[in-house]
Amino acid sequence: MATAVVARPVARPQARARDEEVLVWPDLVFVEFISALLFTITLFVLALLVNAPLLDEANADVTPNPSKAPWYLLNLQELLLHMNAAMAGVIIPTIWLGVLAAFPYFDRETQGQGKWFGTPQAVKITAWGSLVGFAGTWLLILWDSGKLAFFLNDWFGWSGGDRLRFLENVRAIQSQVPWPTWSTSIPYLPFNLKLLSSDADAGQGPTQFQHLNFPGWIVEQQIPIMFMVGLPCVMIFLMYKAGWVQTRRDALLALFSGFIGAYGVLTLVGTAFRGAGQELVFPWELTVSEGIPGQE
Amino acid sequence: MAVEQPARPNLADKIYDKMFHNYVWKSIFRTGYPNTPRNQMLVVATNVFLHLHPTRIHRTHVKITHTYCLGGLSFFMFLGLTITGILLMFYYVPSVDRAYLDMQNIQTNVQFGQLMRNLHRWMAHAMVILVFLHMMRVFYTGAYKPPREFNWVVGVVLLVLTFLLSFTGYLLPWDQLAFWAITVGTNIAGSAPVLGPKSRFWLLGGLQVGPDALIRFYTLHVIGLPLLAAIFMAIHFWRIRRDGGLARPL
Repeated sequence: MATAVVARPVARPQARARDEEVLVWPDLVFVEFISALLFTITLFVLALLVNAPLLDEANADVTPNPSKAPWYLLNLQELLLHMNAAMAGVIIPTIWLGVLAAFPYFDRETQGQGKWFGTPQAVKITAWGSLVGFAGTWLLILWDSGKLAFFLNDWFGWSGGDRLRFLENVRAIQSQVPWPTWSTSIPYLPFNLKLLSSDADAGQGPTQFQHLNFPGWIVEQQIPIMFMVGLPCVMIFLMYKAGWVQTRRDALLALFSGFIGAYGVLTLVGTAFRGAGQELVFPWELTVSEGIPGQE
Repeated sequence: MAVEQPARPNLADKIYDKMFHNYVWKSIFRTGYPNTPRNQMLVVATNVFLHLHPTRIHRTHVKITHTYCLGGLSFFMFLGLTITGILLMFYYVPSVDRAYLDMQNIQTNVQFGQLMRNLHRWMAHAMVILVFLHMMRVFYTGAYKPPREFNWVVGVVLLVLTFLLSFTGYLLPWDQLAFWAITVGTNIAGSAPVLGPKSRFWLLGGLQVGPDALIRFYTLHVIGLPLLAAIFMAIHFWRIRRDGGLARPL
């Protein structure tokens, strides 16, 4: 008879763990106060030591070389050098902000919140993701600036010869490959959307066919899209195959870390490695011409 | 046996009493000095600024490495920028004829003018960096997960507003740096398909950076965008509380 009475765990309502809590005053308020104080002091010291720049008065007739956007937009300006302007300046940032905002609707798992990294492989994914973003972006920039070909030639004596010249940078694919003439002007739309116009369209009315410059389209849009969408996909797929990426959270970790790496490099290169004419130079070689006529 | 008498209040005690235990003071501050748990909770609950916080918080959340105070510091930068910005507005007129001269005037003739301008600029840079780092912190601690999805979206909006606030302020000194940075920046916006040229024209009030652009950027910078940011910040902070405070392991 006694065996019929089996101890069962009793379902209790989970009490709020009061002993795990501290009072906001003083424990949090003081932390906030001290951090605010530290920042105030640091910024005052900085403001006393370093003056905000003020150059000559604005003059539309004198263009400094290089002209640069504010530093937090230099990532976009850098991107602009490598592809179609509308894509680099507007479409990609807009899409990316949309993707960013959609993160929590993609990863709906409540587990792992409120903890740094939070999944077993998260640190590894973060480190490698940002490294791939960092190194990949550097490599692509070096390639597209022609420096990679230059280094290979200069340091290792490797010369692709004329047959491989089209691999020197992205635009060489357009200029060095013998594209048939018809491919640079393919009529595709009976009205002018001003989306993808080749030079031949300039000044044509809205009833004209729009012409697609196929090599330009490949170089300005398809190759960059291939890299920007393809490389993250390949990276996440490889991490998935390696067993690192197991959840949607892991996939987002890889994607976001890759973005941080790439974004950091783009901002850095745009800020410190782009000299006159947006040439890729070392930071210590970077000079800005004030653009005063006759003194350039 | 002598009965122990309470010590007679000394002068300091009397002054303290007169200052903090009178009718007027108590009409402003309902609670006594927060030196008991009861008063400490009351002071947070009854003060309009402190009541953004709950009265109690999980002990893991006061660890500095949990948040690095990044969100709070972003807000603090916003407040500091508002104060220094108002001071700069006293001396700055957003017209092409005066803007640059006013900048020079602020730097040379106005008491602490250079300091205010420096603070405003470095705080603006700090805010952009802090907001970005805050986003990284929230992502890497998984704090965007349910039920905080929408607050993450509000955060993305605030990130964009921070960039726009900084960008619109960049033109105001009306020097070569400002002029060409905004020219490059608005050219980027102008390259958008279909809407690009129109939105660039709308932003600049013309085909190139000029007097109309300056007044537009100024208006957006000092009232339009800060108002918008304040609204979104209100939603952001409100939602933190509604969604159960800072995220922590379930």
